[in-house]
Amino acid sequence: MTRHEFHQLEPYFEIREFEKKVKVINAGEVERYLNVIAWGLVRKYLPVRNREITVQLASEGHIIHSELSFHYRVPSRAVVETIEPSVFLSISYDSLEQLYERFPKVERLGRLMISDLFIKKDNRYFDQLRKTTRERFLEYVKTHPQMLQRVPQKFIASYLNIKPETFSRLKHLMRPKRGVKD
Amino acid sequence: MTKEEFAMVADRLVIRNFDKKQLLVKAGEVEEYLNFTVKGLTRMYFYKNKTEVITNIAKEGEIISSSSSFLSSSPSNYYVETLEPSTFLSISRQQLEQAYKESPSIERLGRLMTTHFVLQKEEWELECMRLDTKERFLRFVGNNPELLLRVPQKYLASYLNMKPETFSRLKHLLRKRTPVFR
Repeated sequence: MTRHEFHQLEPYFEIREFEKKVKVINAGEVERYLNVIAWGLVRKYLPVRNREITVQLASEGHIIHSELSFHYRVPSRAVVETIEPSVFLSISYDSLEQLYERFPKVERLGRLMISDLFIKKDNRYFDQLRKTTRERFLEYVKTHPQMLQRVPQKFIASYLNIKPETFSRLKHLMRPKRGVKD
Repeated sequence: MTKEEFAMVADRLVIRNFDKKQLLVKAGEVEEYLNFTVKGLTRMYFYKNKTEVITNIAKEGEIISSSSSFLSSSPSNYYVETLEPSTFLSISRQQLEQAYKESPSIERLGRLMTTHFVLQKEEWELECMRLDTKERFLRFVGNNPELLLRVPQKYLASYLNMKPETFSRLKHLLRKRTPVFR
């Protein structure tokens, strides 16, 4: 894609700003947007019998929205809520459709982004089913060290499907083996 | 899609026949095909320790493939195996890539198909979290009553992530209240 083509896409996007702990979309609402996080930290969760099951933790550069609601135009079951103050680059359902109509080249970009999303989703699903709690923990903290600083533990524990107590206990695994001199 | 575009895709399809209990792809191999089921029944699974865990069951009209491997060209995490003698209309990755190059509307078809994969996975994942064992059972047999007759119970139980005993017990829910006279 050329720079010129890229600029042609700009009018289709909106910049949206949110304070922390704001529900960007609530259960029961229809998702209008696909959001790319320019700045901030956001989680997606499913309210289930007085509990919140975290299904996604997303930071800068990631896409987050209520996918099923967005594509099928039905009320969302999931909630998307900011953890930190956040800025989104958002495109509405209608704008995205127009974009695909007007710029056939975007089809390829869209397809590749969605393929990538599917591969990530499948890997996560596979890990949840096959790996042990300990393996899931170690792998996540290794690949997302910065998230551990930014995201409340209970959300990460829920995302990894680990009890908060177990999560606390597993944190010992992260300590260096040898004593560190101050 | 125009007739010409449809022909472009159709020309690239191959018919593949498999006996029952034949592997389409093994874990560790790269999935080369997307398979549209014309006839038959196929399951996808992986091994957790020595137990098979079933993640998908596809019947007529449904696409079956180790999709993540197909899209990423990386080794499959899953086995794909027929349960019944089956016939597929298949397209190889190479042929599909060629077709994408020929027309943006084929690219569009690819985008929509991939989106469908993502949404299907998302829906399944959220349902597994949201619904309890009984609800999952009732929803599944409500949507796929014929699979109850075609698929061994232990496979359905594995797919629905419940013990075979639980599955047997839940079948009582399906009995009609009125007695049947012979």
